[in-house]
Amino acid sequence: MGDAQPLLQVKDVSKSYFDQGKEFKILDLIRFELAERDFVCLVGPSGCGKSTLLRIIVGLDTPTSGQVLFEGHPIRADNPQVAMVFQSFALFPWLTVAQNVELGLEALHEDPAKRRTVAKKFIDAVGLTGFENAYPRELSGGMKQRVGIARALTIEPLLLCMDEPFSSLDALTAQNLRDEILQLWSNPDLPPEAVLMVTHSIEEAVYLADRVIVLSSRPGRMVAELEIDLPRPRNRKDPEFYGWVDEIYSLIV
Amino acid sequence: MTDFHSMAKVSVGQILGLVEAVDEVGGVADAATISREVEMDVDRLGPILVAAEFLGLVTVEDGDIRITELSRKLLTAGVRERKRIVREIIDDLPAFRLVMEMARSSSTPLGRQEVVQALSDRVGSHQAEDVFNALVYWGRYAELVRYDSESEQLTVRVAQT
Repeated sequence: MGDAQPLLQVKDVSKSYFDQGKEFKILDLIRFELAERDFVCLVGPSGCGKSTLLRIIVGLDTPTSGQVLFEGHPIRADNPQVAMVFQSFALFPWLTVAQNVELGLEALHEDPAKRRTVAKKFIDAVGLTGFENAYPRELSGGMKQRVGIARALTIEPLLLCMDEPFSSLDALTAQNLRDEILQLWSNPDLPPEAVLMVTHSIEEAVYLADRVIVLSSRPGRMVAELEIDLPRPRNRKDPEFYGWVDEIYSLIV
Repeated sequence: MTDFHSMAKVSVGQILGLVEAVDEVGGVADAATISREVEMDVDRLGPILVAAEFLGLVTVEDGDIRITELSRKLLTAGVRERKRIVREIIDDLPAFRLVMEMARSSSTPLGRQEVVQALSDRVGSHQAEDVFNALVYWGRYAELVRYDSESEQLTVRVAQT
């Protein structure tokens, strides 16, 4: 990395809610950076504010204090270099796969023909070619999340943020999608350059990430930032893999 | 042909996930262990196992699941190559061949009812719907079939390579 500017800088971000003059602190002084080619997972117990942190990072929520910079500038919700994938898939049931994916491009005011071409490319990249005219109700959970991923990728983001993207899927489907996300991330011809993912599954974080940021329970504070130096593809049965899982567990509980 | 209905409620992702789970423990695992690890009881894991076996991706004997050479190819393949492998498998299935021949010899798109009726004659009406749904799902995945759920019409598609 040298002196190159980080893609994302999270600078002492804190978040509180106020109710009848009383302060409820959700996040406390979160500070980390993310560079191109990083795959970072944020883990922590439920209620630690990790999803709130992700919303602040993509500009959907504001910090009470602190700052989020993307390529050196304050983050904005309409930044086309950052895309988000949601746990609930967030698909429109009355639109087909292709229409749901093209929706990601509407904000960019591309012309319809161009929208179709770009959507086609990413529908293909996530293995959904053949399902273009299917409606969400005709798809399995894994397929629905592929639509969410394809839609996020259409804007060709540098950073892909994902909020528990696999937690509503069965274990087999989730594992298959994890591998596909790794394939996309490691493919230099396709976005994204970097991934930031929130998960409550420690095993998932160790399987995917180069770096795991561990948050404490409320208010969420950074407990550790660990470099996972296991070679890929990683085997969840490997004792070294389990060593990492164990270490992170001991930091959280 | 009747076994094809087992694939109606199973997704590509689940089958790949299963193959990977078995691969991670050395290519052989007993079904009870896998069931525990993926937190799926036999009602949910069962159809996935049957479908994976039907596709030739695993063998199941005395409760042991063993992955095949074809599975290993699938695991290392990218998105396009995976589709090609699945296409070759399902293109050969009798239920699939029947419907593809119907579609190719028809000058108009096939209606859902027409296909379900033809399948009923072979597999019985109780399974025909499931076989039809499996055909649409796997046919779409392999890019061999185009189906419009609004008009309920099915046509043949030429796959990208």
